[in-house]
Amino acid sequence: MTAYLAHYLVMVGIYAILAVSLNLLIGYSGIFSLAHAAIYGIGAYASALVALKLGLGFWGGLVVAAGVGAFASALVAIPSLRVAGDYYVVASFGLQVVVLAVFMNWTDLTNGHAGLPGIPRPNVFGWVIDEPFEYVFLSVAFAALTYAVCWRLTNSAFGRVLQAIRDDEIAAQAMGKNVVQVKIVVASISSALGAMAGSLYAHYITYINPSSFALHESIFIASLVILGGSERLAGPIVGAFVLLAIPEALKFLAIPDTVAAPLRQVIYGALLVAFMLLRPEGLLGRARTQARDGR
Amino acid sequence: MLGLPLALAVAGAIVAAAGSGMLIDRFIYQPLERRGALRTTLFIASLGLLILIENLLAIVFKPDPLRLDVGRLADAVQIGPVFLTWLHLVSVATAAFAYLGLMAFLKYSRWGQAMRAVSSSPEMARTVGIDLRRVHLLTYAVGSAISAPAGILVAMDVGADPYRGTTYVLLASVAVIMGGIGSIPGALLGALFLALLENLGVWKIASEWQSTISFGAFLIFIVLRPRGIFGRKIQSAEI
Amino acid sequence: MAAEAAPQREAAPAPIMAVRGLARAFGGIRAVDECTFDVRPGLITGLIGPNGAGKTTVFNLITGFLKADRGSILLRGKELLGLAPHEVERRGVVRTFQHLRLWSKMTVLENVLLGCATPMGESVFSLFLRTAAVRAEDTRARERAMEVLEFFGLAGRRHQLAEDLAYPEQKLLSMARIFATDAPVMLLDEPASGLDGESLRRIVPQVRRLVEHGKTVLLIEHNMELIAELSDVVVFLHQGRVLAAGAPAEITRDPALSEIYFGV
Repeated sequence: MTAYLAHYLVMVGIYAILAVSLNLLIGYSGIFSLAHAAIYGIGAYASALVALKLGLGFWGGLVVAAGVGAFASALVAIPSLRVAGDYYVVASFGLQVVVLAVFMNWTDLTNGHAGLPGIPRPNVFGWVIDEPFEYVFLSVAFAALTYAVCWRLTNSAFGRVLQAIRDDEIAAQAMGKNVVQVKIVVASISSALGAMAGSLYAHYITYINPSSFALHESIFIASLVILGGSERLAGPIVGAFVLLAIPEALKFLAIPDTVAAPLRQVIYGALLVAFMLLRPEGLLGRARTQARDGR
Repeated sequence: MLGLPLALAVAGAIVAAAGSGMLIDRFIYQPLERRGALRTTLFIASLGLLILIENLLAIVFKPDPLRLDVGRLADAVQIGPVFLTWLHLVSVATAAFAYLGLMAFLKYSRWGQAMRAVSSSPEMARTVGIDLRRVHLLTYAVGSAISAPAGILVAMDVGADPYRGTTYVLLASVAVIMGGIGSIPGALLGALFLALLENLGVWKIASEWQSTISFGAFLIFIVLRPRGIFGRKIQSAEI
Repeated sequence: MAAEAAPQREAAPAPIMAVRGLARAFGGIRAVDECTFDVRPGLITGLIGPNGAGKTTVFNLITGFLKADRGSILLRGKELLGLAPHEVERRGVVRTFQHLRLWSKMTVLENVLLGCATPMGESVFSLFLRTAAVRAEDTRARERAMEVLEFFGLAGRRHQLAEDLAYPEQKLLSMARIFATDAPVMLLDEPASGLDGESLRRIVPQVRRLVEHGKTVLLIEHNMELIAELSDVVVFLHQGRVLAAGAPAEITRDPALSEIYFGV
């Protein structure tokens, strides 16, 4: 039972990192990205590959993961954000599809469908993290770090600029703010953090394959943000706790495996629609009075 | 599964598609718009619907691909040095028919003209007495109905599974943006261009990289000409 | 002394901003056409003209929100044409909007703070690696913001959300935040529209005080009397062209111009 709980907590930590970092984009910058699972995957694969092929340690893997993630994101952000925020959605959708294609087809590098087994456990300053509860500690520590970084970012002059951009981008430009550059910076930071989560995941499960990083995963991470509440930094964390409990709850109902996976998705989808109709601000958001025109 | 004749199945598919589109619009999109929901909220609701419906289909029909038995349509036809199947010809004919039909509908029918009026200026349309809600519903009905034959053709060609739709939506979005949002000829050109690009790419590069080619083309396009081929100049906002 | 025939104020200094041959068409309509006028430093220049004359379009062209077809906008001799809006602001030109565009969910103080110089706090690098310097910068910015708020009489409202302010105070806020940027040239788009009586009497002297602080003001207004009272120079725009420029008294009393303005 305790190993079970440990697993749940580790995954909550990892998804908290993913969701909080995605919220930098969705909630704080008003940019919707469908590529976060791809970034997650990039982090996982980058970290796993440098560990397996170059023998790079835990910290090296993290840095490489963050760097590659940020780079991939910037590659897409730069052309599309120059046009309009709406284009970023389609571009991120495209990025997600392409990255997954790379995972599945560049078999020389990624081993394709078969995935990469045997990823070493992290060695943090000599301490090899092997026990489930040790990993909980690592996962929670990094989640706290992510939260702290995002907190510093949003409670500062930079955070003020983000809020201004979200509220009225034209006014922000008129006041001298380079809106496109700010958005690209946020996208890069968000992706660096998301890729870091991928690194943690790879060294935890010790085996990764492309199916964990597909579009439905991007939508799942987005639902953590939306359902938890994108207005607050802690919203996505609450989302992670709640939504990750659902598959566990389903297990108690003895549903056949073939049905359980799509059923979980049906529930997520239904929750998304229901929340948009009934409580779009999410669990932690402030209940809105009749919304005025969305800008 | 039910053993009904093809023609009936096609009609049924179109009706089912149009019906679902209208139900979704009536019970989800329109209520959200009436509450002044942000565009992102609508988008998220549509994402939720996407995974909800995909997976419901997977539960009911099992996720394995279904292939429609096409009988004689699989037979080869030779046009000059090129070998095609009847199915290919039917696909092209269906696309042409759908395109011309839609253009004619928009230009000559009362409902089509109403749709264009609403697209151009909802306020003006309302003042001349057009019922915006009905036009909205109709737009979803027509758009969804046209997608049905595409799905059927895919089912005949490579087989259909519940999760296949997403790839096509991405391709369609890219095609629409490349052609210019709001232009139907543009969408057609964008789609043809994309299809040509993908297949030329497959000829030279391995087929798994199809999506990369489309996406790469998309990125280049939005850098060079974000409004697409026939799109209106992008005005970021009213100042 | 300068010749009486010269329409500009005598002993006028060189223009701080020179608009030459500015043109912009939408489809077939020439919104701005061969528009040429000077903006002299330390003065209030009023841009007036009937509806649709192209006044806000000129503002949009100057501030980079619209791309001009032709022409030149020189600020202290340097070309502004082709720059993005945030770059125009960096060069020293700020503007208000007809529809205000305040950051409604942010407080009055925050709205003004965004105009104060906080380059370190806005740089991610500095934010994480130079925390002490960032904090000092933030303190300085807040002091400056409070000065600006006092100047505009909004200090008491600093923690209120911009959307909760009364309309006249919102107009003052939109001026306050651009004033905080220290930019020498301020473009005011209808600063008095929607105001009457008491509020009007608050806004007008406030605009005068901007000039007393060394700012150059170019403003758009519909109210002929207000323009006459407030401006040192008036530029009359019609169908995108400058028909006349000169002392307010001359322009507002010209019968031909009045006919155009009020319609035949």
